[in-house]
Amino acid sequence: MRRSRSLRGGAAAAAAFAVALPLLFFAAGAPGADIEAGRKKAEVCAACHGPSGNSSNPVIPSLAGQPAQFISMQLYQFREGNRKDAQMTPLAANLSNADMNDLAAFFAAQTPAAPSHKSDPANTAAGPKLTQQFNCVQCHGPRLLGQQHIPRIAGQQYDYLRTQLRAFKAKTRADFDGNMSAATEPLNDKDIEVLADYISGLVTP
Amino acid sequence: MSPVSIRCLVSALACAGLIAPAAAQAPAAPPSWKQGMTPEQEKSTLHPFAPNMTGRPASELPLDKLKVPDGFKVEVWADGVPEARSLALGDKGTVFVSNRIGKNVYAVVDRDGKREVKTLLKGLNTPNGVAFSKGTLYVAERDRITRYDGIEGKLDNPPEAKVVVDGLDPQNQPGHFWKFLAMGPDGKLYYNVGAPGNIVMPGYFQASISRVDPRTGVVENYAQGVRNSVGFDWNPKTKQLWFTDNGRDWLGEDSPSDELNVAKRMGENFGYPYCHQGDTLDPEFGKHRSCKDFTPPVLKLGPHVASLGMRFYTGKMFPAEYRDNVFVARHGSWNRNTKQGYDIYRVVLSAQGKVVKAEPFLTGFLIDEKADPPMWGRPVDVLVMKDGSMLFSDDYNGILYRISYKK
Repeated sequence: MRRSRSLRGGAAAAAAFAVALPLLFFAAGAPGADIEAGRKKAEVCAACHGPSGNSSNPVIPSLAGQPAQFISMQLYQFREGNRKDAQMTPLAANLSNADMNDLAAFFAAQTPAAPSHKSDPANTAAGPKLTQQFNCVQCHGPRLLGQQHIPRIAGQQYDYLRTQLRAFKAKTRADFDGNMSAATEPLNDKDIEVLADYISGLVTP
Repeated sequence: MSPVSIRCLVSALACAGLIAPAAAQAPAAPPSWKQGMTPEQEKSTLHPFAPNMTGRPASELPLDKLKVPDGFKVEVWADGVPEARSLALGDKGTVFVSNRIGKNVYAVVDRDGKREVKTLLKGLNTPNGVAFSKGTLYVAERDRITRYDGIEGKLDNPPEAKVVVDGLDPQNQPGHFWKFLAMGPDGKLYYNVGAPGNIVMPGYFQASISRVDPRTGVVENYAQGVRNSVGFDWNPKTKQLWFTDNGRDWLGEDSPSDELNVAKRMGENFGYPYCHQGDTLDPEFGKHRSCKDFTPPVLKLGPHVASLGMRFYTGKMFPAEYRDNVFVARHGSWNRNTKQGYDIYRVVLSAQGKVVKAEPFLTGFLIDEKADPPMWGRPVDVLVMKDGSMLFSDDYNGILYRISYKK
């Protein structure tokens, strides 16, 4: 089709002079956001989420190395009241969009620690099939490392994962686009146990 | 085809409910955007792009990349409008901006050249559609359409919502559950109900454009076979309804094209899920069907370009040849290895209303067609202002831009 060919030509020309800078800021995950400013703003987070966002509390999620867009999206959801939590709701209430972008940049830049959770060998054996069957890998990726606004769940805290899966199923946790509500609908309690136990023990790169 | 997947065709949601208790080992329904993949596509890494809900300040964006034809100028009109989606213009100049993932409707007020962004309505359910008529703001949420009378006099203290129609999403449908909304020249509100998945058999009121009379609440199904329209407007000359429609995914890099359609009367069927782009039968649903049974598009807008908002240019600022052109916001492709779109597309019509030319009008958001993500901004809707300039929204950054012309 002639039109789409000329469009592609135009796009290629645009790409030719729009090179390094934008690609660099994409690589950082949260364009324009300030990691150092985020580090200062994140001091209050460490009390629960651990130093550098590596949690050692099974009910509190690790934030280190999460996709920046996931962090900013969740902070937004807490501030707007779409996602509710006794600790997080008041903390997010006074954050600006810029604060959220800085915090996201900081946590995305931290290195995730090796998981402390030891999975039951039976669940380690059953897990991969379940993550296929229930479509976890479709959005979270083949190694469950997340992308864009979708979190890395590999190596995430066990109790936290279990609680979130139950909450999605009960439709009490805010869902970005309906995908998690749909994905958790067919899960039974045993599935949730196996998935949380297996995924929590997965080593992150 | 397995019995389970046949059931899925009837309703993806009912299907999930049906199979869960009966057969725990059966595969769960895939996320709706993955539905309809071929076995060969299962390893595909293509995925939709999510907006930055916290927005990005204009000062941090490569705005100089944006290109418009000679004599035109593009500038940021307002930033800090998280996930800016559909646009509507009030009589007193208020620009209403919707959310799809967020739950707010914003009012942007221009005071002596400075824009103030107010969060007008909060806590709504997927309030993607906004329309303004005779002092009233109408909002299409996932399951209902509401009205806010005399809104421009109450921007700091908006009235309670009055329901025009509700029960629009009785099954909490997956797939395309957000709605576009516009006021027709007949005084009726037009809205779409998208298909409940990528390529599935829709219910009667799904994959359609309906209209409701706000005085009576009576609903009519106006156009069928419309997979997911996120933009419509009426030709100022013929008063016919023109609308964009997003083509299905996972049918190949160059197939099918998005559609620009015209509904000449109530009751036409535009093909989904049987026939795509007016001439391509669906490999599954198209069996035993003919594309001749359906109204073809007046223009193919390009494969997977996500054609969303569209309006006729009725202003006087742009040169005469732009008068009554159609401007389409192409949000940009995800279901394509080589990305395209991410622009404002211009469609020129003859005096008889036939498409004579179509070309990109504003470009520059697409940076690397092979990168992930390939773009730094995504147009959603266009709006002609009273002075003849044109605004467009960018949900990726939460920004409204203004395009103006000076000789």
